[in-house]
Amino acid sequence: MYREDGMNPAARWLFAAALVASTAACVTINIYFPAAAAEKAADRIIDEVWQLREGAGSAPVTPPAAGGTK
Amino acid sequence: MKSPSMPSASLTGRVAAVFIGLALAFAVHAQGNLEIDTPAISALRKAMQQRHAQLAPLYASGAVGIAADGTVSLRDAAAVPLAQRAQANAAVAAENADRAALYREIARANGHPEWEGEVRRTFAQRWLDRAQPGWWVQQGASWSRK
Amino acid sequence: MAAQPGTRESIRVETSAGGFELPCGGRSRRALACSLVLLMLVTAVPLAGAAVFRVLAARVGEIAGPGFAVHELRVRLDAPAQGGEVDIGRLRIGAREWRALTLRCGRLRIDAGGLACNAARMEQGGRRLPFEADVDLALGAGPVRIALRLPDGGRIEAGTEADGRLRARLHRLTPAAAADLLEPWLGDLAAGLRGFKATGVLDAELDYRPADAGATTASLRGRLAGGGFGRADGLLAAEGVGADFTLEARSTGAVWSWSAQLDWDAGAAYIHPLLVEAGPRLRARGRFDGRRIELERAELALDGLAAASARGVIDTAAGTPDALSIELAGADLARIGPRWLAPLLAPASAQRLRFEGRADARVELRAGRLETLAVELHGAGFGLAPPLGGGSARGDDGKEVVPVEVLALGPVDGRVRWSSRGPGAAALQVGGGRWEKLALGAFALDAALEPAGLRLAGARIPLLDGTLVLQDLALGWSAAGWEGSGGVVLEPVSMPLLSEALGLPLMAGVMSAALPGLQFGPGELVLDGTLAVSVFGGWLQASGLRVREPFGVASHLTAEIEARHIDLAQLTETFSFGSITGHIDADVRGLELSNWRPAAFDARIASIAGDERRRISQRAVENISALGGGGALAAVQRSVLRLFETFGYRELGLRCRLANGVCEMGGLDAEPDGGVRADGGFTIVRGGGIPALDVIGYNRRVDWNELVARLQRVVAEDVSPTID
Repeated sequence: MYREDGMNPAARWLFAAALVASTAACVTINIYFPAAAAEKAADRIIDEVWQLREGAGSAPVTPPAAGGTK
Repeated sequence: MKSPSMPSASLTGRVAAVFIGLALAFAVHAQGNLEIDTPAISALRKAMQQRHAQLAPLYASGAVGIAADGTVSLRDAAAVPLAQRAQANAAVAAENADRAALYREIARANGHPEWEGEVRRTFAQRWLDRAQPGWWVQQGASWSRK
Repeated sequence: MAAQPGTRESIRVETSAGGFELPCGGRSRRALACSLVLLMLVTAVPLAGAAVFRVLAARVGEIAGPGFAVHELRVRLDAPAQGGEVDIGRLRIGAREWRALTLRCGRLRIDAGGLACNAARMEQGGRRLPFEADVDLALGAGPVRIALRLPDGGRIEAGTEADGRLRARLHRLTPAAAADLLEPWLGDLAAGLRGFKATGVLDAELDYRPADAGATTASLRGRLAGGGFGRADGLLAAEGVGADFTLEARSTGAVWSWSAQLDWDAGAAYIHPLLVEAGPRLRARGRFDGRRIELERAELALDGLAAASARGVIDTAAGTPDALSIELAGADLARIGPRWLAPLLAPASAQRLRFEGRADARVELRAGRLETLAVELHGAGFGLAPPLGGGSARGDDGKEVVPVEVLALGPVDGRVRWSSRGPGAAALQVGGGRWEKLALGAFALDAALEPAGLRLAGARIPLLDGTLVLQDLALGWSAAGWEGSGGVVLEPVSMPLLSEALGLPLMAGVMSAALPGLQFGPGELVLDGTLAVSVFGGWLQASGLRVREPFGVASHLTAEIEARHIDLAQLTETFSFGSITGHIDADVRGLELSNWRPAAFDARIASIAGDERRRISQRAVENISALGGGGALAAVQRSVLRLFETFGYRELGLRCRLANGVCEMGGLDAEPDGGVRADGGFTIVRGGGIPALDVIGYNRRVDWNELVARLQRVVAEDVSPTID
């Protein structure tokens, strides 16, 4: 017959650790956040917004346009 | 009485299962791309790209810096001619409004509105990392020139 | 420096044979006596020659005037060199005191009146001060004249008269020279001038008359030209400022009453986030008791304002208004709005805001913070233009899109009163408005204001022939933005009017909505409830309405729509699509409109089974096939088409799943796999009766914009079917 209080101290400690781990896992749903994909997405958008990948020639063209709108 | 090692063995098994589950879930999500091509996100990207023509000289002069929280900041208005300071401030405010919308929209478009904070943090880091030499970036609370 | 002020005062004369000392007192009678002795000695010097008097040294304990005192004054006259030195052990002006001042005179002259020290350089604590001075000093309480020539051409002249009158002139004084000049005396002020990068040229005259006939008066008038400064962060700065100013003050005791005038006629200032340009003129008067400036009345003339006045108390120590009450009358919002209101209230959309009408306002500040704000609006109007670079710019079929304001309200009349400490109220009469293409009628808004929010018990906004009713609306302001909740009811609006207003084909029926679960948060408007339209003999209902980023470029709307028992006869007639009889159900799941254009949905249309006459006209068939991109008709059936006006059909079904600009088409659900036929086509119309005809689509992926363009062509081609 198995009884809870039959656990030795190591087992208790493990049980507690597992509880902590599982509650932590439950609370931090952020662990599912796809960090790598988000970085990739960020890089794509940054390339586009800052016009980093469309050749260096396009960048100097834009400031006069900005001046013109003033 | 069972051997005392039995419950601990089953517990470690369970813990391992939890971690494997988490790792799997993470892996599944990490594999895909984030959706960033919805019309709303595209409209924001386009608006931000257009505004970049106005902001680029401000980044270069140091008037506007790349802030640590995923926004841009009017950190040295003195670098802008007096008559254009209000416009620069308006451009910064408009850019930050669009950026806030962008982070919200990316989180929403991927079915997880609660990711907004993570999306913002990820973008904040990438904006900082990819800022061009000469631009001002914020690390912690202090500003430095890249 | 053995002399103790007021006790041992003397004139010491050194000759080649030795020296002697005359006791002199500080009181005017004795000082006069000493001066006479001095005069005699001085006149004797040239006569007697250098051999007799080499050096003359006078030690005077104290010269005191109103507001200043000179202690431990020693004068050394070096007769052969015609020069000399004036040492001042301690100089007190007002409450401040300086020590160890030395004036090295290029030419020193001492006569009965006192001493004149010309082309002098000054040292303080061993450091040379950056100016050349002329000092004309009468011993005792006589007149004192000082002229300072600054290295950059500026000049300061000051003089006191025997009666204590002080006159000073600042001539072309620059902040740089002023900072150098002030450095040893008022170090913090000098550091301030330098830190704020002050520029400009100041010309001013000060006239101070102490207790003349019981009243002390002072006046300061002058002009600043090319003035500027800039705080390090650039958020507070001015450039090229030209201004005339005068200050008159009068005191009969400890309290001064003053009046001031400032005419700002050139330059500009940036006071974050406002750009303020030259033009304002200020007149003010009040009292000053040494600690607090009481502003009895100030009047500001400003472009766009009929009148502006203020009164209050300013704590000079804190530099902030203890209490300030400002009244603005006849503000022209078209001029005041873009310059003063938009940058403060909505910097991100400042360029998109439009203002018109007039307003009066009263603003009360306490301890530097806004406490109450009362505004009265007269025919005010507000508009929000669509964002630049928004989707609305890319018009359909290349048509020029007239920018229609997203939101417009006006004329608005009424009062708003807000307080940071308690309840306020807004009572407004809105003459009308516009939301996108929909005109709103006149309505009243009565809201209870709170320090950080507002409550609106209800408002009835006429919308065409119906009413938009707002219920229990509560809005709160937090750092994240505006948040709120409430309910909206749309009392029936007739579809003919609504369709006309939206530029759609005329539709019969009514629209109404009950959306009790309105939630408003940063970037999101949730409208839980149902919007129902009775139209085309059936009804359509929309639920799960969400508007994201309502006012930005990313504005989009999502909803779930289901339509039941729609009479195709009415529908096809309305849209000039030929003629189909029968009824359909339609479901649109996950509808997403971005800038009012569909971005995503999963739509199904299916005919309702039942006993009814189902006919489809030749033209409708042709139109459906045209939508399919041509070739949608089974070739065999094409020839049959021309023979009959209408055809019978058994069932009809169409599916379009839109994503990423592509519509994935499908037909009747009856066939397995969503209607895939052996030849890859899908059945849209299955014929029945006589003559029967099937319409089969083959194009499964259709570009949405292309489909919309075809639909528009089909609808536009209107009357005659084009079958050759």
